[in-house]
Formats: sequence, structure tokens, C-alpha cells
Amino acid sequence: MKTNKLVAIMALAGLSTVALAQNGPIRIGVVTPLTGTYAGIGEQVKWGLNLAAKEINASGGVMGRQIELMYEDEEANPSVAVQKAEKLFQTSKVDFLTGTVNSGSTLAVGQVAERNNKLMATTVSFADSITGERCSPNVFRVNARAGMQSAALAAWVASTKPGAQVFYLGPDYEMGRSTVAAFKSAAEGKGAKSVGELFAPLDNKDYSPFFGQIRSGKPNVLYTSVAGNDTVRLFSQMAEFGVSRNVQIVGASGTVTGQNLTAIGKAAEGFVTGAGYSTLIDSPENKKFVEAFKAENKADPDLYGADSYGVLFLYKAAVEKAKSTETDKVRTAIRDLKWSTPQGVKTMRGGDHQAMQDMYAIIVKNGKFEIQSKVSAADAIGPDTCTKF
Amino acid sequence: MTSILEWLQFVLAPQSINGLSIGVAVVLMALGLTIIFGLLDVINMAHGECYALGAYAVVIILGMGVSFWWALVLTPIIMGVMGYAMERGLIQRVFHSKDRHTLTLLLTFGMATVMEDAIKIVFGANPRSVEAPVTGATELFGSFFPNYRLFVMLLGGAIIVSVWLLVFRTSIGAIVRAAAHDKDMSASLGIPVSRVYALTFAFGVALAGIAGVLLAPIYSVFPTMGRDFVLMAFSVVIIGGMGSIKGAVIAGLVLTQIQSISSLLISPVWNDTLLFGIMVIVLMWRPQGLFGKLGHA
Repeated sequence: MKTNKLVAIMALAGLSTVALAQNGPIRIGVVTPLTGTYAGIGEQVKWGLNLAAKEINASGGVMGRQIELMYEDEEANPSVAVQKAEKLFQTSKVDFLTGTVNSGSTLAVGQVAERNNKLMATTVSFADSITGERCSPNVFRVNARAGMQSAALAAWVASTKPGAQVFYLGPDYEMGRSTVAAFKSAAEGKGAKSVGELFAPLDNKDYSPFFGQIRSGKPNVLYTSVAGNDTVRLFSQMAEFGVSRNVQIVGASGTVTGQNLTAIGKAAEGFVTGAGYSTLIDSPENKKFVEAFKAENKADPDLYGADSYGVLFLYKAAVEKAKSTETDKVRTAIRDLKWSTPQGVKTMRGGDHQAMQDMYAIIVKNGKFEIQSKVSAADAIGPDTCTKF
Repeated sequence: MTSILEWLQFVLAPQSINGLSIGVAVVLMALGLTIIFGLLDVINMAHGECYALGAYAVVIILGMGVSFWWALVLTPIIMGVMGYAMERGLIQRVFHSKDRHTLTLLLTFGMATVMEDAIKIVFGANPRSVEAPVTGATELFGSFFPNYRLFVMLLGGAIIVSVWLLVFRTSIGAIVRAAAHDKDMSASLGIPVSRVYALTFAFGVALAGIAGVLLAPIYSVFPTMGRDFVLMAFSVVIIGGMGSIKGAVIAGLVLTQIQSISSLLISPVWNDTLLFGIMVIVLMWRPQGLFGKLGHA
């Protein structure tokens, strides 16, 4: 008698746990830098995700279930990111993971996701390899990658300065070298000529020794991928030495941002970059998003905030299409899925898990960013080089 | 690339002139080092930190709302006093021992470490920028130069010429050279040798301080700035001849010109490597440097 009761109680408990799992909140892990060099980016990621979760939950959640975001600090360090991801998958049992900023973290956490048979998406990392030769069946990318940024910029350069003579000046580490290489091949593909390439150490103080080769090369376009304070110094010194006169300066999307624009001041005038987002994109979804974001955070969204906002809607659309949160079903549903974002309708290319979107050439005019031209998603995306699935 | 003349005017000339502005600052540093070695036979490993302190003095003085020109005048005085105290208080104590060379080397190295960490604690490790007092640019031979760099060149050049005149054309200079040449003979002739030592050390440190003030708006101010820059000064002193003023000036100017011109062909990140490579070759070929010692020049 007692045993029967015990069995009955256990069965009931078991059933209710299962029932609870199907009706409880959907847990989404967020491993993002909350401290350290990239904390500013992590902040935009958090703002974007929080706003999306708030809106989705207010309108009934995903398949009736509320979204619960669980944050962990990756400190912009891939080994820390891996530990936090393991913790989220195994202890907190999250259904999905996002938020990684550092490209190294994205690649490493992707492997953790494979081991735990769960999916993840990045909204920031732009190293081409993530959806290229190091693609993974469990990793998706919502933001534009380096190749796409270069495509938009190279198209703009080719249309305004055909047959340009380009000089490249980048910071001497992975990001600097890979962005220069990406833009160089895009520009040369459109008929530009390369007249010189130099790399300065990160945090370089005096760029004047580098100007000799720039003067010697006589470029009419200068591409740079320095960032932060390096941009402030380089641009000011180029203006002081007259090196930037009659030269169109273009650069990576991180070179001039809201954070260093005021410090660079007048020297940033006329700078053009290729990016996947601008607060000026003229669509009703974007206007609504920018207003809601500003009201919530008292700051404009940047590309990191906008793409992090978009990723939760991607997940929602996929789960609703698959009618389940099971990894394999969601993966099949995400492939080639189209969903609505502040940047318009994006398509998640199934062959390599890279989102396709329109790219923009953005110029700094009178101390503000303005959209100059657009390259369509199909032209910007580049070939599918992922061979793993 | 079009004609040779155009290349000379628009590429080589600006590069060379820019090299001069750096060269002048390097010579100021090297002068201080070489004078201290020439007279006291002391290798001042803390010279770089004296340079850094000069730059931080500007930060403090500007922070108090005083103008840059006062910083230019006050800093050498402050650094001179500090140098006098360093020599009298620390270096004199080990000066008369048998292991003087090792001890002063270690002592100044210790001072350098203490000074650098003190800077880090008081000011923090982040770089600070200093506004140049002279803004705008001038067009020279068809290229633009920031007025501040031209100012550094002119003022630095004037200071170097004054130092030269002081050492070789005045009686003070003669006293210093005499004390360097033969300490005991000079003492017996009534020259207060230990005071001359202290004042000379103070003078060398003051020169480093001036270099720090002049370069602060160009390189920004951060705790390890001394360490990076003094290596260059040391190379110049070694190549020019330790203790030789003529050597420091010539080597300093020539080497920075070599660096500037080579930056046209290879990446400027090789500048320091090039300099040390030349130093190694000179040491192998002529270990005493290009010119002689202060007292014996």
C-alpha cells in the first residue's frame, strides 16, 4: 500500500516537473563582457537584449512562455567565456545562448554549445571565420561580418573615386590586419590600386614617422582600422601635418563611433565607413526601436544594441515555426528563416548560418553620422565558404 | 612617383624636418646623460624617470591653471633641486667606495624603479594628454608642419647651443671640465669638487626635465614614458662617446635623421631596432664611441 502511494506521488512529481518545463520560462544565457576593455559594447548588448525581452514578454512571450535572460560576465576573455557558458548550459540549463563579443569567445563558446547540443548566436563578433572556415552547426551570426562591411565601403569608394589609389594603415594585431586584408581585397576587386600598407602598434602615440610613406605613395584614399584613442591621435596628427588634405579617409566600422567622435572633432569630418546599422535608417520599425531604446536607456542604440535586440526576435520566430525549443527542430527552423528587425527583413542563410542584410556607407558630416549609400544584402553577403554542414 | 625634385621637396624634406624635432629632444636627453657620465663617471639609470617627472610637472602645473610657459621655466628649476638632492643624499654616499661603478648603477636603477612606481600610484597608469601651447601649422617648402614642433626644434636648438657655450666658453664650464679631467688637482686648486659634482648632476637632470616638458604635448604623458625614451638616449650617448658633448649632439641628430629616412623605405616600427643595431656595430668597431670623453675631448 505504502509503495503504491510512493510510486503515485513520484509519478505525479515527475509529470508536474515535465509539465513545468513545458510551461516555465525559456531561459536564455547571455555571456557578454560586463567589465574590462569591451564593457561599453557589453552594455549596448545588454540594453538591446533587455528591451527585446521586455517587448516579447509583454506581448505574451514565446509560445506562451516568458523569456528569462541570465547574464554572466565574460570579461572579454575567451577562457572565462567558456567557463561561464558551461555553467549556463549545465547548471542553469539554458535553452539558448548569446552575447559573446570577442571573436575568440564566440568561436570557443561555439564548441561548448556543440558539446551541450544547444544553439548559440553572436550579435557582435565580426571575424569572417565564424561563419566561414570555422563555422559550426550550433553557431549563428545575426550581425554583419567584416567582409560585408568591406563590401559596402568598397562599393562606395568605387562609385565616388573610380580607380582610387589606396593606402592602408592599421593597428598591428589580428583585428587590424584582418580588416585591412578584407578591405584591400574588396577594393582591389573593384579596380582600386594599393599604394602602401603600414601597421602601427596599438596605442601608438606619434604617427608622424608613418606619414613619410603616405606622402610618398600619394594616395587619394586612406583606409584605417585604428580605434578608440588611436583614432583621435591619428586623425588629429594627420590634420596637423596636412596629410589628410585632398585624401578621402575611410575606415572600419569601429574606427569612429559615438564614443570618440567628440574627441576627434573637426578632423573626423568626411570620414566614411561601412556598417550594418544606423539610427537614421528610415523605416517605421527602426524609428520605433530607436525611440523605445532611448526612452529606456537615455542613449542612442548602436549596431551592437540593434543586433542584440534582433536576435531574440529571431529565436522567437524560429521556436514558433518549429513549435518546440528542441535544438534540432529549432536549427532546422532557423535555417533560411526571414525575420523582421530594425534594419528591415533579414534572412539567415542556411548554408553558413550568416544573416544577410543591407549594408550602408555612412559618412560623418557636421559632427553627425549620415547615410550615404546602400548595398543590397545579396551583393554584400559574399560566397558561402562553410563546408562543415 | 614623378620627378626626383618633387620627391625631395614633398617627401624627404618633411620627413627630415620632422626627424629634427625628435632629434633635438633626444639630444637634450643625451646631453644630460653624457655630462653626468663625463664628470661623475655615473651612469644615471634614473634619467628616463627624470624626463617623465618633467612631463608630469607640466601636468601638475597646467592642472593648477598656470600656463605652459611657466612650466617651461619652473620645471628645470624643480628638477635641478631634485637632482641636487639625489646626488648629495644618495650618490655621494657610495661615491668613495671601491665598487663605485656597480653601486651607482644599482642605486640609480633602484631610484628609477621607485620613481616610476611612485608616478603610477600618484597619477594612475592611464596616459594623460597635454595641450600644445602653440597651435596651428605653417607651410614650409610646400608641406605643413605643426607650429609646436617647429617651436620645439628652435627652442631645443637654442638650449643645445647654450649648453655648448656654457661648457666650452665660460669659466664655469672650464671648472667642470677641469674637475672631470683631474679631480684631485682641481680640488687642490680650490675648486669645491663635491659641490661641482652635485650641481652638474642637477644640471643633467634639469636637461632631462626640459626634454620631458617639450615632448609632453607630442607623446602624451604616461608612467613608462621614461623607460622607452631613455633607451634611445643611451644609444646616442654610447655611439657618440660617453662623456662627449660633441658626440651626443652629432650622434643624436644623425641617428634620428637615419631613422626618419629609413621610415620611408621600411615600417617605422623598426626604428628602435635600427638604432640598437647601429649601436652594436659601433661598439664592435669602436667601443669608446665616435668621440672622446668630456675631460679628455
